[in-house]
Amino acid sequence: MKVLALRAAVLLGLLGVWEVVAAPLNPILYVAPSAIPGALLRVFRVGELPPLPEHVWLTLREIAAAYALAVSAGLWLGFVLGLQKTLGRIYEPILAALYAIPSVVWYPSLMLFFGLGPASKIAFGLLLGFFPVALSVLAGIRQVDRHLITVAVSMGAGPGAIFLKVALPAMSATLVGGLRAGLALSVVGVLVGEILGSRAGIGYLINYAYGLFMTAEYAGLVVLVGAAVLALDGAAGLLEARVRRWAS
Amino acid sequence: MGKLKIVGCQALSLAALVVGWEAAVRLGLVDPLFVPAPTAVVRALAATAGEALPRLLDTLVKTVIGYGLAVGLGVTAGLVIGSMRTVHQVCIPYVVALYGVPKILILPWIALIFGIGLTTAVLSATLFAVFPIVLLVAGGVRDLDPALLTVATSMGASPWQVYRKVLLPAVLPSALAGMRIGMVFALLGTLLAEMFAGIRGMGFLMQKQAMAFNAAELFAATALVSVLSIAVVVSLEHLNQRLGKWR
Amino acid sequence: MIGDPRSLVTAQIELRDVGKRYETVSGPVLAVEQVSLKVRRQEFLTLLGPSGCGKSTLLGMIGGLVAPDAGQVLIDGEPSTGPNPRKVAMVFQDPGLFPWRTALDNVGFGLELQGVGGARRREVALGLLEPMGLRGFERKYPRELSGGMRQRVAIARALALDTPILLMDEPFGALDEQTRLLMGEWLVGIRRRTQKTIVFVTHSLQEAIALSDRIAVMTSRPGRIKDLFEVPLPYPRDLNSPEVTDLRAKLWDQIREESLRAMEGAP
Ligand SMILES: Nc1ncnc2c1ncn2[C@@H]1O[C@H](COP(=O)(O)OP(=O)(O)O)[C@@H](O)[C@H]1O
Ligand SMILES: [Mg+2]
Repeated sequence: MKVLALRAAVLLGLLGVWEVVAAPLNPILYVAPSAIPGALLRVFRVGELPPLPEHVWLTLREIAAAYALAVSAGLWLGFVLGLQKTLGRIYEPILAALYAIPSVVWYPSLMLFFGLGPASKIAFGLLLGFFPVALSVLAGIRQVDRHLITVAVSMGAGPGAIFLKVALPAMSATLVGGLRAGLALSVVGVLVGEILGSRAGIGYLINYAYGLFMTAEYAGLVVLVGAAVLALDGAAGLLEARVRRWAS
Repeated sequence: MGKLKIVGCQALSLAALVVGWEAAVRLGLVDPLFVPAPTAVVRALAATAGEALPRLLDTLVKTVIGYGLAVGLGVTAGLVIGSMRTVHQVCIPYVVALYGVPKILILPWIALIFGIGLTTAVLSATLFAVFPIVLLVAGGVRDLDPALLTVATSMGASPWQVYRKVLLPAVLPSALAGMRIGMVFALLGTLLAEMFAGIRGMGFLMQKQAMAFNAAELFAATALVSVLSIAVVVSLEHLNQRLGKWR
Repeated sequence: MIGDPRSLVTAQIELRDVGKRYETVSGPVLAVEQVSLKVRRQEFLTLLGPSGCGKSTLLGMIGGLVAPDAGQVLIDGEPSTGPNPRKVAMVFQDPGLFPWRTALDNVGFGLELQGVGGARRREVALGLLEPMGLRGFERKYPRELSGGMRQRVAIARALALDTPILLMDEPFGALDEQTRLLMGEWLVGIRRRTQKTIVFVTHSLQEAIALSDRIAVMTSRPGRIKDLFEVPLPYPRDLNSPEVTDLRAKLWDQIREESLRAMEGAP
């Protein structure tokens, strides 16, 4: 309780300081927190900016497509490399090395290949989200306790039952962590793509407001998107905690 | 299967990829406008090296400065936050939230204030790298075995000695882990800033080549940056191992 | 029963010259060699021998987990070809509970594999857990249970299969001495109620004497049956009686020799 109060106090204090500091400064560079709600309302209403819901809807669809593809590809490759030990030993280090390269280096190539439209954003979101999913499958498979498989076999479990009732639950905690990280990165990929160059989507709006020096509107959009991303990740976190209830 | 055989298979796979790719371009299966042949990329690499290498150095310098700032700030903040229970409880949710928010959202604001030069890229690198370092260092301090502190105090160590001789060495592994992740994030931050609002550096160069449809030059630049980042990560890993040897 | 010629035909478990060799990176390891043994219906037989002598391998072959590369394993006169959960259930030293399942769902695992419905599984599991002193723990996850409780859940999971044969591989090996003694007494009770044929593996003399009808002493690797001892004493056994002391001395002679050989053989 005391901690919650302190947390709120810290947040309010920072906002207060910011308000006082920003008030006399150039509003194009420094937006006071009090200006944000009004700016957000304007984002929804004013005709100067393109209509928000349409762009949000496009971004959501891009994220959904990117994430669905990332999960499919990540699960597939993860299981192929995890279950075929030899393939895994050859290709997992390559996968890990690719993951160590800062992902943005791939974006210009994707843009060149897929153009400025949604395809390049989806491709980038896919690329980013793919790695944590695939790597979590690999890590998860390694974590499956051999002894549990022996126990299941001794009770008559065949390959299907071993996979569904032993391997999958045993790796679920790791896997769900990877799926959550993949979702976060798919979102980042789509947003980065949109902000670096696009003609539609929430990232385009953010860039648009920034380009026209509508800094309050920009800040409002950033607060909105940031809160949405945190809420999404929080929801994924709750789901993750539920799945791994047995673990801790 | 032996280690050598694995490496052999890896090399063979990569070679097959390059050869297949070259063949695909030559046979007209892919459009060289979008996917240039490896030979064309190598030629472009040679042709643009004069322009690309100084830019690579430029990117590296910004990254290192931003990374240095992030390590200084991150380790200090991590130690402070981790050492005090209440501060930890109050602050950690905010650090986690900041770590979770896509930093690209804040990049336009930094660019607005600091323009399209060195400062923006450096701050972007710091912004990307600092939070994982804070989280890992603070976590390392919190996970410290309290028995170690009790032992040290019972042997008459002063608070400063406890800090120097118990806390810092115990936290070193997680700090090093944070610094390793931070390096990749710093490079990411620099490149992103250069792509978004740069006039120099590799990020800017790549974005420019993409816009101009110079696929071969773009691939060459991408390869250069990839090699740079792998080299940086590997050398950091080596340093890490040498520092962590006593463990 | 011992002299009964019928037992030759109706032996519940029969091993005929079974052997097992493992291929390892440092060359083949002959784990079990030429073991022939008959286990009678409702008998409690203990395999006793030093670590690494092939007890688990032998038990695994009886349970169908390890394929013998010589000889034959017969269950009720029929050659065994793999795990047979209708006839044989196993318990291991590591309880191997599924950490994501509650105690109740762990016990129901085998029945679930056989397609038994949820209500029936619950009923069986509750019926097994309650008399094991696990009332109130049915909904707990394994990490919330003590070592002794976990092993009891694992035993309940094996009992749930309701097989005539129970194989136990050092089931109490990881428990502290007191718990171990109590679990032994408890197992004697289970055995009396369920009338199962039990093959039990241990390296503890005390445990073997307290529980078994017959004790098979194994040689150090490669494992063979060195000697068989009958223990015709009623339960509960007084472990300080003259008969027991005498038997312990004989067993110790055998085991000592093999343990020394095992130690010399060890790298
Ligand atoms: N899967 C295996 N692969 C290789 N060697 C094994 C395997 N299982 C057991 N062994 C070896 O076989 C011998 C007998 O093992 P085990 O049956 O487990 O003995 P015990 O249960 O009596 O300790 C040991 O030397 C052990 O190292
Ligand atoms: Mg064993």
